[in-house]
Amino acid sequence: MFLINDFIALLAANLILTQALGTSTLFIAANSRRNLLRTAFVITVFTVFGSIGAYFADRLLPEKYSDLRLLIYTALIGILYVIFLSALFFISREKFEKSRKYIHISAFNCAVMGTLFTINHRAAGDSSFMNLKSYAAAGLEAGFGFILASLILTAAYRKLNSAKVPASFRGFPAMLVYLGIISMAVYTLK
Amino acid sequence: MNNRKSTVFAGILGENIVLSSLMVISPVIVCGNTLKNAEALIYAFNSITFLSVFISSFVPRKIPYALKVIIYALISSIVYIPVRMAASEFFPDSITRIGIYYPLLAVNSLIVFQSEAKLFRMKRGKMTASLFFYILGFDAVMLITGFIRELFAFGTINGKIVDIDTTISGLSQPFGGFIFLGIMCGVYRKIRAAAYRNYNDKRGGADVSDK
Repeated sequence: MFLINDFIALLAANLILTQALGTSTLFIAANSRRNLLRTAFVITVFTVFGSIGAYFADRLLPEKYSDLRLLIYTALIGILYVIFLSALFFISREKFEKSRKYIHISAFNCAVMGTLFTINHRAAGDSSFMNLKSYAAAGLEAGFGFILASLILTAAYRKLNSAKVPASFRGFPAMLVYLGIISMAVYTLK
Repeated sequence: MNNRKSTVFAGILGENIVLSSLMVISPVIVCGNTLKNAEALIYAFNSITFLSVFISSFVPRKIPYALKVIIYALISSIVYIPVRMAASEFFPDSITRIGIYYPLLAVNSLIVFQSEAKLFRMKRGKMTASLFFYILGFDAVMLITGFIRELFAFGTINGKIVDIDTTISGLSQPFGGFIFLGIMCGVYRKIRAAAYRNYNDKRGGADVSDK
């Protein structure tokens, strides 16, 4: 029962299905199951570490300079981007060549940046949320939400791209309608 | 229409960034449910994207790809500051309407990735013209989406009540946005395929596949 409750909570808080954040990235990565899951994993890493960084940025940034928040978040994600690429390069050149494209598409997108802004928004409305643990947990939740949406899309990917779907609707349009129907189901859970 | 012209105008029909490449779709899905929201998004997207891409085009091309992407994102984050300040001065409602999607427009795929892959390979004059039409393509989609969704979700046009029998309130929700955009994307592909077929028929060329 706890698992079902957690699963429903994860669905209801899913940033793709409820706020369409990261949908473009999901579609870019959707051309193969392996791509999709690897991208989802890398995005989870970015959302978790990005959220931890965002916590310190939010604590230190005075409210009157809130216009600078985007610049700070961008710099933060930029630093993480360089760290991940460098770490991968020094660990294994082969892995670097194979995986760098996932890091490229996972760094600057609405899934990651949207997560940071959503968490900031939540913290602004509820001061009890303003702690490192909540930020990291929310980042992890957003990442898991992306993985879940990826799995949901992967399950129907072949059918949505099959020749049985009219040519004009094959691929992206069918995927959008499919995500819309899933999103509608999630909407009823909220 | 020769090839050069068709490449420049491609942003409106052939390579529309929303309907063809599915870029910047989150704000369209979530915020594109009224004409007022659409106008606010258009102002933010146009100013941030045009200035950011134009300034980014001066970044030396020899810099490694990852660093260039970071620089482009930083430039757009800097451009975002005066654009937001101007918006809070002249269109204060627009900021609350768009919410977190306002800053997210600054890290849109057109600025961060597409500019590097396509626009910066052109000469600056042609790039500026192409960019203008890419932006125009986004604006057209945004206005059409805002108009139709507002009409059928709320029974209004730009906030004014219209005599309409049936409203579908779900169209204003994100799931309605997903489904509407999916249908619009399919219709767009049909129109694009027909337009290119006509163009090729006139030239006596081969058929264009609908991808």
